Amino acid sequence: MTMTTTTYSDEVVCRPRAGTLYDVLELILDRGMVIDVFVRVSLVGIEILKIDARIVVASVDTYLRFAEACNRLDLERDSGSTTIPELLGGGVAKSVGKRKVKRAAESVGDTVRKAVGGSDDEDTEEEAEEQEQPRRRAPARSSATKRRRAEA
Amino acid sequence: MADHGLYVYAVIRSGQRLPANARGVGGPPAAPRILREGAIAAVVSDAPPQLRARRRDLLAHQELLLALSEDGPVLPMRFGVVATDEQALREQLAEAGTRHLATLEQLAGRVEFNLKAVAAQNALAALVREDPAIRQLREDARHRPGYAADLRLGEAVATALSRRAAEAGTHVVRELTSLAHAVAAGPEVQGCAVNASFLVDRDDVEHFTATARQLAFTHHERAELRLAGPLPCYSFVAGQIPAPTAVT
Repeated sequence: MTMTTTTYSDEVVCRPRAGTLYDVLELILDRGMVIDVFVRVSLVGIEILKIDARIVVASVDTYLRFAEACNRLDLERDSGSTTIPELLGGGVAKSVGKRKVKRAAESVGDTVRKAVGGSDDEDTEEEAEEQEQPRRRAPARSSATKRRRAEA
Repeated sequence: MADHGLYVYAVIRSGQRLPANARGVGGPPAAPRILREGAIAAVVSDAPPQLRARRRDLLAHQELLLALSEDGPVLPMRFGVVATDEQALREQLAEAGTRHLATLEQLAGRVEFNLKAVAAQNALAALVREDPAIRQLREDARHRPGYAADLRLGEAVATALSRRAAEAGTHVVRELTSLAHAVAAGPEVQGCAVNASFLVDRDDVEHFTATARQLAFTHHERAELRLAGPLPCYSFVAGQIPAPTAVT
């Protein structure tokens, strides 16, 4: 018989995963009996654990993504479709509606503009629209600025 | 073959045999054997050169222990324990024999279950609905958008999600503790609000897992529960089984 791991999600799905290591890796490596006088294999460099929902990494990046997700939550409609892994993975970019992307880009853009003294120069990098990684927000600003002017 | 020592998998009772098709660590897998010393015995194999915590070897270790657990109580060794030679191991077994035997008695007919709680995947909507402070920050961020407002909101959300998962996890641990013979806090795992192991009688396994499922449903808006088991009793080899009190 092999070990099974069951994950209980909101649908209470049972997902037996025979032979799965990572749910119990820390037990194999960190619990169990040791005999002091014996050698133990070095664990230097081991990448210890990856838990599925890689949540709550305390960083500015994470906070901003949570804020973005929070802002686009529509509480009146079904809002259960936003998953935390989606938030923290690269998948977020695909699921964000263009309107909301623009909104996020605008607010960042406004702040940046205030910070640098309000030059409204615009360039024409249309491809910036596809770049939503936080470190690439500067190009997104110009794109958003341009679109907002077009709508005005 | 060069002598790299003896890899030790487990301590068992002397009367127990190796499971069929037992495979050890190393590539190709070493053949495990039993080294008997009085009433107890060690399951060992030749240690491979350059032993590291590879997936292959971790699995071999884990699967041999699982198979051994089917036939009787097992004291699982932590991964990677290597005795210098047979003589040294025999001395250790002789010296600690009484203690090991007592622990084996305590573990007989019992298995370990490990419970982890992480923030629920769909927790965000519930949080915003239920937490007035978060709702207020969200309104602020909407009316006066900006980096600072987003940062405040995001930080509050991250903190609240992990707090809610921890609260739910603690509650679940408390409930499950009443069904377990013992409970032990697991090592801290990043991203895990709760990590705890339970020592459960084999006869109670079904009831235990059913209860865990029910609790998971009750708390699904706060925490996602992951239950692994039945496992070898990694967390209960210390000899003195901790009293079944709640862990956080």
